[in-house]
Amino acid sequence: MYTILQEQILKRVKLTKEEFALAKTYFIPKKVRKRQFILQEGEICKSLAFISKGCLRNYSVDDKGEEHIIRFGIEGWWISDLHSFTTGSPSMSSIDAIEDSELLLLEKSSYDKLCAAIPKIEHYFRILLENTNSAAMKRISDLISVPAEERYLNFLKTYPEITQRVPQSQIASFLGITPQSLSRIRKDLAEKK
Amino acid sequence: MKTTIAVIGAAGRMGSGIASKLAEAGYRVLLAGKDQSKLADLSIRIREKFSGADIDTLDCSKEASWEADIIILAVPYSKEIEIAEKIKDVVTGKIVVSISNPLNQALDGLTTNPSTSAAEELANYLPYSKVVKAFNTVFAGSFYKNILAGKKIDSFVASDDKEAVSIVSNLVKDTGLNPLPAGNLSVSRTLENMALLLIRLSINNNYNGMAGWKVLHP
Ligand SMILES: NC(=O)c1ccc[n+]([C@@H]2O[C@H](COP(=O)([O-])OP(=O)(O)OC[C@H]3O[C@@H](n4cnc5c(N)ncnc54)[C@H](OP(=O)(O)O)[C@@H]3O)[C@@H](O)[C@H]2O)c1
Repeated sequence: MYTILQEQILKRVKLTKEEFALAKTYFIPKKVRKRQFILQEGEICKSLAFISKGCLRNYSVDDKGEEHIIRFGIEGWWISDLHSFTTGSPSMSSIDAIEDSELLLLEKSSYDKLCAAIPKIEHYFRILLENTNSAAMKRISDLISVPAEERYLNFLKTYPEITQRVPQSQIASFLGITPQSLSRIRKDLAEKK
Repeated sequence: MKTTIAVIGAAGRMGSGIASKLAEAGYRVLLAGKDQSKLADLSIRIREKFSGADIDTLDCSKEASWEADIIILAVPYSKEIEIAEKIKDVVTGKIVVSISNPLNQALDGLTTNPSTSAAEELANYLPYSKVVKAFNTVFAGSFYKNILAGKKIDSFVASDDKEAVSIVSNLVKDTGLNPLPAGNLSVSRTLENMALLLIRLSINNNYNGMAGWKVLHP
């Protein structure tokens, strides 16, 4: 249940066994079934969710009822509505499970206590948030300036696993294009080969 | 996120009353226990009354507790620790409700040491969970008849975690009873003795389980 979390933390900071044993007590183990929500638009995002197993997506819905996927998450990743989590304001996005999943939830108050109890964890989260922020910035700039075909190829390269696990329509939504455009891109790419 | 509640021992007298009322109130309820056929019967009965109920049956206490946000142990006192052992790894940070009364065989005394209670023993086994005492002073019939002599039956709630007291008080209210926050978990010693007294009174006066505690105040 905690192995992947431990590996992920150890990749970035040196935590002793005792420190990790203490850290574990701050996390709420939670299983969710496919299609269940862990956050619905308008709710306050109470926790950061670490994914031990499974796949989830974070998305928003526009006035036409169209879903726009902001990000996916698989084993070893964190998922949350960071804006709502940090500010305590209602979330503008939802998170649900694409597969049956196992999570480790870190509520805001536990997050604060954990960072205070183990400063190395605070350092871990600083690195994590820096990476999250730079990935988000890159995603925004790509969306504005990089052609869809190239964004699709980048996606395949960066997230080979997600490509296998998520329906094409959701990948299209993540790329900000229609499913029709995505299949056209895939067809063009296949012909180029 | 919809709150998911696991009722372990859901097919029992207390478990079925609590589970039915919570399902009716719109919670997602996981009916857990040993006997899958009893649980299936219960889920049919709940759906007959309330077709929109979001319920599932599970024969594994650990699986149910892992999926749940709140766990209610509606099992005999003698089984509480055994179940706590099974679910311990998946209830960190979660509310675990103890409803038990550690009665002796003759129903005229408690088997616990006066310096502790069933709920405190449970809390010792689950140091990373928020153990709450609730529902132990009400008879199972109270979920079907919650008003006696024109008054709504009280149901006391005790825990060392204030937020947990308020969350469980809301659950109590949703089962149709009047929640009364009673203090820290050590108050369970009193609450378990109050249940014993109520049982004695019910036996001596032939109340047939149609009795409950009510604190009167202006
Ligand atoms: N009855 C009351 O009016 C009342 C009032 C206040 C408090 N309480 C307390 O509530 C608790 C339940 O009492 P009850 O009267 O509802 O008893 P009950 O009708 O005998 O129900 C107990 C339930 O627990 C299940 N169970 C037993 N061992 C289990 C295990 N290892 N794993 C999973 N499930 C298990 C039983 O399953 P099986 O049926 O398959 O054996 C049964 O469904 C007790 O602690 C009691 O002190 C009762």
